[in-house]
Amino acid sequence: MSFDGHPSAGPSGAAPLAEQPLLEAVGLSVRFPMPKKSPFADRDYLHAVRGVNFKVHAGRTLGVVGESGSGKTTTAMAAVRLTEAYDGAVMFEGRDVLKMGPEALRKQRRDMQVIFQDPYSSLNPRDRVGAIVREPLDLMDVGERKDRADRVKELFSLVGLRPDQMALFPHQFSGGQRQRISIARALATNPKLIVCDEPVSALDVAIQAQVLNLLRRLQDQFGLSYLFISHDLGVVQFICDDIAVMYLGEIVEYADRPTLFAAPRHPYTAALLDAAPSLARRKSAGYSRAGAVKGDPPSPMNLPKGCAFAGRCPRAQPRCKDEKPMLRPLEGAKVACHFPLEG
Amino acid sequence: MDPLLSVRDLKVEFDTRHGRVTALAGISLDVMPGETLGIVGESGCGKSITALAMMGLIPNPPGHLTDGQIVFEGEDITRASPRRMRQLRGRDISMIFQEPMTSLNPVFTAGDQIAEAIMLHQDVSKKEAWEEAVELLRVVGIPEPRRRAASYPHEMSGGMRQRVMIAMAISCRPKVLIADEPTTALDVTVQAQIFDLMRDIQEKFGVAIVMITHDMGAIAEMADRVAVMYAGRVIEQGRADDILDDPRHPYTSGLIGCIPALGREAASAERLPPLAEIPGVVPPLHLLGAGCAFADRCPLVHDRCRRERPPLAPHGMAAQEFLGGHAVACHAAEREIAA
Repeated sequence: MSFDGHPSAGPSGAAPLAEQPLLEAVGLSVRFPMPKKSPFADRDYLHAVRGVNFKVHAGRTLGVVGESGSGKTTTAMAAVRLTEAYDGAVMFEGRDVLKMGPEALRKQRRDMQVIFQDPYSSLNPRDRVGAIVREPLDLMDVGERKDRADRVKELFSLVGLRPDQMALFPHQFSGGQRQRISIARALATNPKLIVCDEPVSALDVAIQAQVLNLLRRLQDQFGLSYLFISHDLGVVQFICDDIAVMYLGEIVEYADRPTLFAAPRHPYTAALLDAAPSLARRKSAGYSRAGAVKGDPPSPMNLPKGCAFAGRCPRAQPRCKDEKPMLRPLEGAKVACHFPLEG
Repeated sequence: MDPLLSVRDLKVEFDTRHGRVTALAGISLDVMPGETLGIVGESGCGKSITALAMMGLIPNPPGHLTDGQIVFEGEDITRASPRRMRQLRGRDISMIFQEPMTSLNPVFTAGDQIAEAIMLHQDVSKKEAWEEAVELLRVVGIPEPRRRAASYPHEMSGGMRQRVMIAMAISCRPKVLIADEPTTALDVTVQAQIFDLMRDIQEKFGVAIVMITHDMGAIAEMADRVAVMYAGRVIEQGRADDILDDPRHPYTSGLIGCIPALGREAASAERLPPLAEIPGVVPPLHLLGAGCAFADRCPLVHDRCRRERPPLAPHGMAAQEFLGGHAVACHAAEREIAA
């Protein structure tokens, strides 16, 4: 099972792997300028994403998981050019999205849509929701004008809303329903890729289950690919086929779902799994965490020379502080760690 | 053992643009000394209002505590004067809030804010209070507590701010600590640290904790007993293990079923099966009818559920008697028990 060719999709239920990934990021880097300390000082940059590589295959879901500040959202936004990258390439069906001119990019956006985290701020409160879902059709000139009203109706049914709700405003819907509207809007242009940026983290758990099931049904129905950003490992394990774990702007572990969850190799991945609350860990059984991670992530403005996780890592050795571990293949996964966990 | 804090038939109403809405429709809870009671439910179920009521912090207007009692060590605090409540609050019953960023004052140092809480309730000098604040920061696991006491909230991470909140909350050795979604704003590794800290503090000081959360995983890890709330009522209550392993209310089992499985046990090459869903949404409080509020979403619904609201204590048990036992407000569950 080579990782570059991709672990076999096999019985996972996901689409089989095509030769060429739908989207491939190579050395993708994003930095943000910081305010100058004085007019003559050199400008400092916050390196939010530092040279990440990943592939999203047709019909499959790549999950990017990490804590706040890990660069997971910035990575996804750079991949669809809602944030400008300063280095690297993002190949979408063989063409570099980062090099496209405005017109080519606008056309390209038909194929790559986004569902945002906050269903309260991502829908214009002054527009009727039918108009919100229709807008991408008009903007990107999809289909015949006269058919668009029917298309919007169809989209409403697809996401489990009633067509008679089209004339309502966003505030008349609950959070879960608003996220369904966002999904309908993202589906409108028949995209190949949808970037889902924490699409369920603002929702109650019962509503979260409804939306996750819906996303998976739509993926099966339309052969969609998802680039799925989440901090919740349970959600990622449910919906993703491949997973990239990010820490401070870099991918520290990259594997397919069964490999990653059966045996996390990076101590940070293991720590995330250990920290996530689970029904199996009971106070009554005197549950306590053995390898709990201490402290907070270091500031991205002041990164250590060696491994960024070394200061919090229970397995850290002197070498980890001096020498930065590169992401390298390890038994079907890729891990950036000098002392990975046993498989 | 007598409960430390008892809530009996507590009813809270709010004035809204839909008229007067019942946010808490007569709930009863007991908090035993030194235990953790988890209150779990979705947004709008009334769990945070319950916490605020226990602190005497229901905003009035628009809120009205219209019926019921909250008895703390024999005293009904719903009738306590504002002056008496100020004595109790922070000293005997204290609270940590969801958002450590907004619940600390940005223009005072951490040490100042903790010292203020100490001086409010104890007869100590400013210097003694400051020393105690440094000690508390050490207890809650803040490195270099003396230097950190002089830091402002914006100089701290979210996890550290929540530790400061906890230090403040335990500064007067309260008997009850109410934690309203204490880790929702935090990353999962930091959440784990805060949970560990709360368990440590409970062990060290014997404080009873009321933990408000929407997360069944947090309940499993933190709670001895659980009350599940839905639309302003407690619909199931019992020991945490009973609730998690043998939920009787269809809503409780739905809440447990819709959590994605995590970790090695679910690491099959097969795709995981679809999540169990609870169809629909929580009904708006101003549209609740006479029957069970969950009836429209319930897989076990029958005619009686829409006509008649099931009481929490079946078989005529008083609230006191089912303490430690397992109570459920559901006609279907009652049928099952009778059968």
